Amino acid sequence: MRLWRVILLVNLALAVGLLLGFLAWGRPLDDTRRELAELRGQAVPAGVERVLRARGVVRAIVPEINVIVLSHEEIGGFMPPMTMGFRAQDGKLLDGVEVGDVLAFTLRGVPPNLVLTELRKEGKL
Amino acid sequence: MTAVAAAVRWSHLLSAFLLVGIFGLTLLAGRSAHPTPRAWEARMLAWSRRAALATLATGLLLLAMQAAHAAGRAGAALEPSAWVGVLLSTQFGAVWLVRMGVVVLLTALLLLREREDFTADWTALRVEGWLLAAAAAGALAWAGHAAAVEPNGGLALASDLLHLIAAGVWLGALAPLIALLRAASTPAGADGRPYAVLVVRRFSRLALGAMLTLVATGAWNAWMLVGDLPSLIGTRYGGLLLLKLGLLVPILALAAMNRRRLIPALSGEAGTVGRPAMARLARFVTFECLLALGIVAVVAALGVTPPGRHDTPWWPLSFRLSWEAAGGLPGVRARFLIGSQIAVVGLLALLVALVMARSRLLAVTAGLLLVAAGLGTALPGLSVDAYPTTFRRTLVPYHASSISHGLELYRGHCVTCHGVAGWGDGPAGVGLPRKPADLTAAHTAQHTAGDMFWWITRGIPAGGMPGFAGALSEDDRWDLINFIRALSSADAARILSPAVEPNRPRVIAPDATIALGPTPARSLKEFRGVRTVLLVLFTLPDSRGRLDVLARSYETLQALGVEIVAVPVAGGDGVLSRLGGNPPIYFPVATEGSDEIARAYGLFRRTLSPEGMAPDPPMPSHMEILIDRAGYLRARWIPGAGGPGWASLPALVAEIQQLNRETPAPPPAEHVH
Repeated sequence: MRLWRVILLVNLALAVGLLLGFLAWGRPLDDTRRELAELRGQAVPAGVERVLRARGVVRAIVPEINVIVLSHEEIGGFMPPMTMGFRAQDGKLLDGVEVGDVLAFTLRGVPPNLVLTELRKEGKL
Repeated sequence: MTAVAAAVRWSHLLSAFLLVGIFGLTLLAGRSAHPTPRAWEARMLAWSRRAALATLATGLLLLAMQAAHAAGRAGAALEPSAWVGVLLSTQFGAVWLVRMGVVVLLTALLLLREREDFTADWTALRVEGWLLAAAAAGALAWAGHAAAVEPNGGLALASDLLHLIAAGVWLGALAPLIALLRAASTPAGADGRPYAVLVVRRFSRLALGAMLTLVATGAWNAWMLVGDLPSLIGTRYGGLLLLKLGLLVPILALAAMNRRRLIPALSGEAGTVGRPAMARLARFVTFECLLALGIVAVVAALGVTPPGRHDTPWWPLSFRLSWEAAGGLPGVRARFLIGSQIAVVGLLALLVALVMARSRLLAVTAGLLLVAAGLGTALPGLSVDAYPTTFRRTLVPYHASSISHGLELYRGHCVTCHGVAGWGDGPAGVGLPRKPADLTAAHTAQHTAGDMFWWITRGIPAGGMPGFAGALSEDDRWDLINFIRALSSADAARILSPAVEPNRPRVIAPDATIALGPTPARSLKEFRGVRTVLLVLFTLPDSRGRLDVLARSYETLQALGVEIVAVPVAGGDGVLSRLGGNPPIYFPVATEGSDEIARAYGLFRRTLSPEGMAPDPPMPSHMEILIDRAGYLRARWIPGAGGPGWASLPALVAEIQQLNRETPAPPPAEHVH
């Protein structure tokens, strides 16, 4: 075979190889990255009951509607740190709780409908 | 280890460049029917095989060294698992795989030793060889410092890519050219002389282009990686760059000489070209080639040296030129203007000399003299004292914790001479040879942080200031410098009032870390570009009423893009419980880190009122500061300091709306300068 044809074939092979390489390696990698990002965004499967635990500090209590407002740390796989209200399953849970209390608390339910089911005082700020 | 690494990089670069040069030059030369050129061509093919194998071998060595470097121990250089780790999980590995794949392909092509019956075959092999070699050399850009440049990363990569390929085209072709010239200058090589002359002429034009590309892209890369003059003359990287430039000057001189004298000497009918002229040209190109080898050695060393931008410059001169620091002194501006005009006239004379046929020497001399006289007039006025650490950069950020620690250190070590307010009026300073410096005066802003570092470290013997190198660690000294900056900036901030001065961000807000109980700590910097911050320094119970107002207005303020950060002046213990829940307070209250913030931001309590002018005015029980989205202090309200201030919400909202109307200023630097 003449040399220039060999070289043409080599270049063709190179181009095809690059294409296949991208298809076999680059594309799945991109997909994986995207999926990973999506997973990070919503790590919780919908429609399944979950139990979540975290710590927070009491900012306000609204006993009339059984709501307690907490500044909390990240609630694993569900919610970044923020200040927001949670409904208590039972009004008695909030008895004796005061603004400034540091709590370890448990949420139960099917996201996004979670209620506060347990809490334990850890300190006071 | 570094020397070995540099040596391996050197040989790798050389063999990669040689491949580009060989194919480039043979393509440029074209095919010849004469025996000497043919023999040279065959030799070049043999060289290219060896160069390709050498590129592979040194490439493997590079990989082994990288594996050892990544694992942190020399033994890993021979472990296949360490190699795989480097190849599959690092940028170096990915680039290496691509480059070596290309070189393997090239080697296979060359080792085939396929017959070249037709010109198309001949050309195809060399074009392919050149492309593969250029890809292998150019892709090095992705594994070098240029790949880490931010921003303009794409531009830096493109420029480095061009630089590498141009280096191959010019530098890699020197050795093949010498081989040709040598062969043609032997008695037996007479048949190759016309061919050699042709090649030299073509190459001379190509080399000029490659050289211009090298200088342009090289200057751009250097600028991206070094960034300023202190880094150029004060760091190892900068020194190596200067060495590279120093080697380039004789190369350019040699190249100019070859172009202007030796190549025209080859002219005449090609058959009559003398051997001596060709032999002389071969010698000169050999010099050029040796200098080029030196340049590549410097480049290899540069590759294993941290770029000047990321190193600490050690300023070697006892002065620096600074317009900011000296431009304001009397007479300096006038001298600068006159001097620069004289220098411009000198430059014009030099330009005229370029086109003048007669008395050129006179014009050049006059031009040079004028330029020297102009610079001599303009520059000395701008000179200010400098020290080895003048351009030293710090990693200690301008942060409340650093400032607060600096305040403690200041009280322990400096206050007796420099005074409580930093005015240089401490009791122990009275008998000193020179009055201690007023640390709040305008001139402090003209000294670099590195200048202060030098004085604190070594002292100022003539003025009676001791050095603190023994008493304070380096970080302590930077904390002290951060404090002094905050102190003088607080002095400038006395002018702050409840009214925002439109479009005049001047005082940088120190960063600070706040945390509320178990929630993760946040820094003020996180709000930059996102929210305006109303920093509220409060004391209970005095501030309770004001906090109620803010709590009720929180939603309104949030809608205006404001975050309230409340910091208790007197410690965070039990502060939430004492605040209570009626009305509920939802904005962040710092329970951790409040002491540092109160101490650092407390510096900004001084005002223009008679009480505020005192050296150490009492801390107000309540103070609110507006920090704009760029991170500058823009307005301040101290209740009871005259006027209604922000007591009514609409007054505060008006100032916030003023800030929202402005185009944000560029964010302040993270470290003091």
